[in-house]
Amino acid sequence: MIGKLRSVRLALAAAAFIGLGLPQAHAAKDSLVVDLVNEPSSLDPQVQWNPDSYYVYRNIFDNLVTRDDKGAIVPQVATSWRQISDTEIEFDLRGDIVFHDGSKLTADDVVFSVKRITDRAFASPQLGQFDKIVDAAALSPTKVKLVTAGPYPALLAQLVKLSIVPKAVVEAVGKDAFNLKPIGSGPYKFEAWQRGVQVTLTRNDAYWGTKGPFPSVVFRAVPDGATRLANLQAGSSDLIVTIDADQAAQLKNAPRAKALIGLTERVAYLRLNTTKPPFDNPKARLAAAHAIDKAGLIEGILGGHDKPVPELLTPAIFGWVDGIQAPAYDLAKAKALLAEIGPAAKAEIDLATAPVFDQRIVQAVQQMMTDAGFNVKIAMSDMASYLRRAQAGPEATSLLSFGRWSCACQDADGVLFPLLHKSSGWSAYRNPKVDTLLEEARATLDANKRLAAYKQVHEIVATDVPVVPLYQAVVIYGAAKNLEFTPTPNESMFINRMSWKD
Amino acid sequence: MPGFLLRRLGQAGVTILGVVTLIFFVQRLTGDPTYLLVPETATQADIDALRTALGFDRPLFVQYLDFLAELLRFDLGQSVVQRVPVTTIIASRMPYTLMLAAGALVVACGIGIPIGVLLALYRETLLAKFAAGLVLSAQSMPTFWSGILMILVFSVLLGWLPPSSTGGFSNLIMPSVALGLLSMATFARITRAALLDELSKDYARTARSRGVGTGRMLFRHLARNASIPLITVAALEISNLLAGAVIVETVFAWPGLGQVTVQAILARDFMIVQGVVLLGAFVTVFLNLLSDILYSVVDPRIVLEKAR
Repeated sequence: MIGKLRSVRLALAAAAFIGLGLPQAHAAKDSLVVDLVNEPSSLDPQVQWNPDSYYVYRNIFDNLVTRDDKGAIVPQVATSWRQISDTEIEFDLRGDIVFHDGSKLTADDVVFSVKRITDRAFASPQLGQFDKIVDAAALSPTKVKLVTAGPYPALLAQLVKLSIVPKAVVEAVGKDAFNLKPIGSGPYKFEAWQRGVQVTLTRNDAYWGTKGPFPSVVFRAVPDGATRLANLQAGSSDLIVTIDADQAAQLKNAPRAKALIGLTERVAYLRLNTTKPPFDNPKARLAAAHAIDKAGLIEGILGGHDKPVPELLTPAIFGWVDGIQAPAYDLAKAKALLAEIGPAAKAEIDLATAPVFDQRIVQAVQQMMTDAGFNVKIAMSDMASYLRRAQAGPEATSLLSFGRWSCACQDADGVLFPLLHKSSGWSAYRNPKVDTLLEEARATLDANKRLAAYKQVHEIVATDVPVVPLYQAVVIYGAAKNLEFTPTPNESMFINRMSWKD
Repeated sequence: MPGFLLRRLGQAGVTILGVVTLIFFVQRLTGDPTYLLVPETATQADIDALRTALGFDRPLFVQYLDFLAELLRFDLGQSVVQRVPVTTIIASRMPYTLMLAAGALVVACGIGIPIGVLLALYRETLLAKFAAGLVLSAQSMPTFWSGILMILVFSVLLGWLPPSSTGGFSNLIMPSVALGLLSMATFARITRAALLDELSKDYARTARSRGVGTGRMLFRHLARNASIPLITVAALEISNLLAGAVIVETVFAWPGLGQVTVQAILARDFMIVQGVVLLGAFVTVFLNLLSDILYSVVDPRIVLEKAR
């Protein structure tokens, strides 16, 4: 009898052991499981620039300002701000924010965060987003003044990305230790990091703003898209990132999962090298614009979610102007234009791309341009080589390159300036008029003047075609049926804006 | 024996230094990671500043000497992307790699060797033909396909096993099977070939003619002799498994060394790649040495002094 009992107990124990990793039934939602592609590279908000880190650390830290789900810049640590002069801006700060270690967030922490990220010796990859700030000063415990080198209209848009770190803690423990155990003031606290596996956050019950709906959140690294999808369908995760339209379609009839699709600030484009044949000839550039069937790409390959754009921006970006007329898809016209050029149009064109981009799009572009009479060869390289060549200037860069651009700032200055202005490595276009317009738009705080300048740039791009703007890209998440989450244009993932409906 | 060991250790040192030097320079042939680290809006000045701060603007040879100096202090450096010591990263991944390698080895040997015996001793039976087919199909299925198929069947459809990631013993089952099935075929083939080879030798024929039964034949006479090629293959397979199984680890989100290495290569996180390659070289050289020593244990006729 005892023997029998013991064996039953053993069997139970074995079952419990084997069942350790099995999906649990969601009664009350204690823990949200999010499948990212990779683990965060680091949780210090100022030492890296990659989405998987951002998804996690943005829930641990508060930023100076933030964007709401619609994309408007709204208060977070700062409650209000005013421009004192063209180069000075004052921020009033909340007085009731407490870091996870119990210390108060003050103006000193804000100043410290600004100075830390703009210190060249600190070597933050994000330096370029903040290096227009030349000084920061605490005027009182709840008041901070920032000084920029010249008027800088995109400052607030950039400050959306400035996370506030606790000065005392960072100074006490140092950079490396802070990275391992970050302390912020956000709606979730850092709990544990099982390297290569997952990061666990717990709810900050003392948070000053909207509290998180789940007591704990687990971010796991699941590199394979098909596995993320299987995890979601098996119920072992509640939210997955980076799936494509085909995978989203698989979720249509899934019993417990759904696809969440949102238009982003990201714009897909073809950049033409205007300094070399055939694209040194405006007719060839116009022919390229007429050769691309944007609606065809979106409907045929991307599942119809993305939106064609006539200008090198998306409606989610400041600087977007309605009513720009871009050359329409017209194969006959493209062929006719190329015929006018003659043999020069047959110059071999290398189309640069990298594995991260959807190769079906790249191949379709190649096919469309070939149909029009261009001679296009795809040049695939790894991402690092692609980036280096893409920024090498007109002499060294490819004749044609496909890209998807996001400045993560939703401001035209972060898109048009780097892609078109002669001072930027990305630009393969030389047009003094456009350079002047871009400089003017960067140097004034007057929104209407900026919009007027950008409108002219859009019109020149549409007629002179240094780039062919393609479409506004979507971001697609897979989510449990019960999870309410609104994708935003800047691809943020605020846990405290989510909810769970049983 | 001591002379042999010393000589082999010297060779091992040269091999490892060669491997490390090669990986150091090959990785840097196409540039450095700075472009991957910065936002798209970074200017050339920003990129150059970061490159200088990370030390990638120094002459390659200076960087190499630096690296060797660090190596002598047993310091593998810091990951450029994660900004933690490479040893921390490798140490955190190593247990998972060991677990998966052990699991896969159990599957590979546990199924592969018996099938090999079956194929050698009972060639003509229906069971052997079925087993041969099984081996062939196991070897032909690409793991990225068999892996995701297993997940769909056993996790999504049946709900028996967790689809991916770590946690308990149940998490280890599917990755071990997916990875083990590949080496299983190798073990089966080698076992079969070695047994057939031994069976055709005089001593085996003599034993048979004396009427020795199959079981006694196998365990008393053949096993020891046939195990020499198996040891060689096992050493190679184990070092392969320890170097990480990139595809299986990726499909099952298993945080082993293979996964982190591929990510590091793509991110140009040189230090991690160098660390893993160094470790791999160590393991391979050590296991080869071990298998050489095991030869002489299994077959006393092999004398290590003369084995050059």
